[in-house]
Amino acid sequence: MGVLASYSIEIASEDGVVRVRNQVREVALRAGFDAFAVAAISTAASELTRNAWVHGGGGAARVEEVEEAGRRGVRVDFRDAGPGIQDVERALRGGFSTRRSLGLGLSGTRRLVDEFSIDSTVGVGTHIVIAKWARLGARA
Amino acid sequence: MRTGTHSDYMRTLKLDSDELASRRRFFGIEEADLDRLRALRPLAERHMASIIEGFYFLLLEHPRTREFLNDPELVERLKGAQKRYFLGLFDGRCDLAYVEDRLRVGFIHERVGLPLKWYLGAYNRYLELTGKALREELGPEATTAAQLSLQKLVFFDTALAVDTYVAAQIDTVARHRAAVEELSTPVIRVFDRVLLLPLVGTIDSARAQSIMETVLRRVSDQEAKVMIIDIAGVAVVDTQVADHLLRATAAVRLLGAATILTGISPQVARTVVELGVDISSMHTRSRLADGIELALSLVGRKINVETRE
Amino acid sequence: MSASGIPVIRIRNTLLSAIQGDLSDQVAEAFQQHLLTRIEATGASGVLLDISALEIVDTYVARVLVDTAKMARLMGARTVLVGMRPEVAATLINMGNGLDGLETALNVDDGLDHLGTLRSG
Repeated sequence: MGVLASYSIEIASEDGVVRVRNQVREVALRAGFDAFAVAAISTAASELTRNAWVHGGGGAARVEEVEEAGRRGVRVDFRDAGPGIQDVERALRGGFSTRRSLGLGLSGTRRLVDEFSIDSTVGVGTHIVIAKWARLGARA
Repeated sequence: MRTGTHSDYMRTLKLDSDELASRRRFFGIEEADLDRLRALRPLAERHMASIIEGFYFLLLEHPRTREFLNDPELVERLKGAQKRYFLGLFDGRCDLAYVEDRLRVGFIHERVGLPLKWYLGAYNRYLELTGKALREELGPEATTAAQLSLQKLVFFDTALAVDTYVAAQIDTVARHRAAVEELSTPVIRVFDRVLLLPLVGTIDSARAQSIMETVLRRVSDQEAKVMIIDIAGVAVVDTQVADHLLRATAAVRLLGAATILTGISPQVARTVVELGVDISSMHTRSRLADGIELALSLVGRKINVETRE
Repeated sequence: MSASGIPVIRIRNTLLSAIQGDLSDQVAEAFQQHLLTRIEATGASGVLLDISALEIVDTYVARVLVDTAKMARLMGARTVLVGMRPEVAATLINMGNGLDGLETALNVDDGLDHLGTLRSG
């Protein structure tokens, strides 16, 4: 997988939410996403950035425009050094919330993207990577 | 219908100065190579006519490529284009204008439907004939050097041609898919602000997502107040399909429109109830005709029987 | 105008507000506060929130909208959300969020009609 462009954004305040999702939006449009796909990946980024800020106490996001087998995509990597998630499986199933809306955030977000991976260690932090691909034949 | 042009592909393939520099580095094309080729231009001009003739001899001899060259006038025109293309190798430049020129050639070949294998095979013959001409005039060392420089540029050209072919194929697939999607989601306007979608066949998650998007787009574009979805023709309505339909209904509601599900069979009714769905806010009818009547009452109209002839 | 920068216009007994641009959390909260203050000041019985300019409605913004409508309801004003974009609706539904209990309409015209029906009903 080739990385065509990469942007690092610090999540050090609530402003990070707007900054990350705007960057994701810009990259998704460039990658040829249609309006539905742009809204899906931008909203997913918004959810995860807020999670990193509210639950993880801040961190960093890396927004990448990627290319694989002739298709364009957007990949976003979120890292925080927060308390971590105790039961990841349960958090992903939804209907589970430690604080406001975490459960819906994770399970709902997963349905908006093509790829979703999470690695969380209690006391160390959470690392989430999401990716979404432009539909075949989409024009950048 | 073809909508793309070779300049679209310049954009699709992101062939900007960065990409050009990266490709040149990768193919090892240096100024020395370009200088060497430029110095060979007089030689190329002298041998051009016989190389082009030999090249077309191959194309006309082979039955499959001959099919593409059935018109003598076309062949003459192609020979002209071929000369420019051939001499382009000895211009001693490899810039964006050169790339665009090469891309156009690949684009035209793809467009007339010439399979890539013939394109590559013909290019091979080209190199062979040029190599012969080089050996005739130059010493062995100079020939090897010239051939290496030429090879770099030829591979560079070939990569562009392959990219163009692949991009065109992806385009074709996307167009076919769009056509199939359009056919599979035929939204009809039955009345002012009332739309009807008769669903037929099998519904998997991918199609369900596409149905939802089409329905939402059409409701929004046409400011429809009611969307009738008739599912009488859906092969199997299992819990998953029912769930997809309910999501579409919920999404239409968010836009401010109502959905009426019609064509509900006893079996579908059972499935929906077993799903435990809250049906209090849902509009459903067994028959499409009743659904249309309900739709009209929702938009404050009714069918006026008297005005009908 | 308020700290949110989002104007709330009064038309007879209805308040109309078109939410513009990027809705950050602070702006969303400031807007909620401002709108409730205006309901109190005007005694409005209906609220139209035009969100046609909103390109992203995430869980947080969705909750602010639903909560605002509930609070307005407690103060005697019915809220209708108008003009949601197709891609926003699809995203919310795919996340499993149907904005339950919130009234919706396609545009401001329909929204006004809807409020009229609610009042007479």
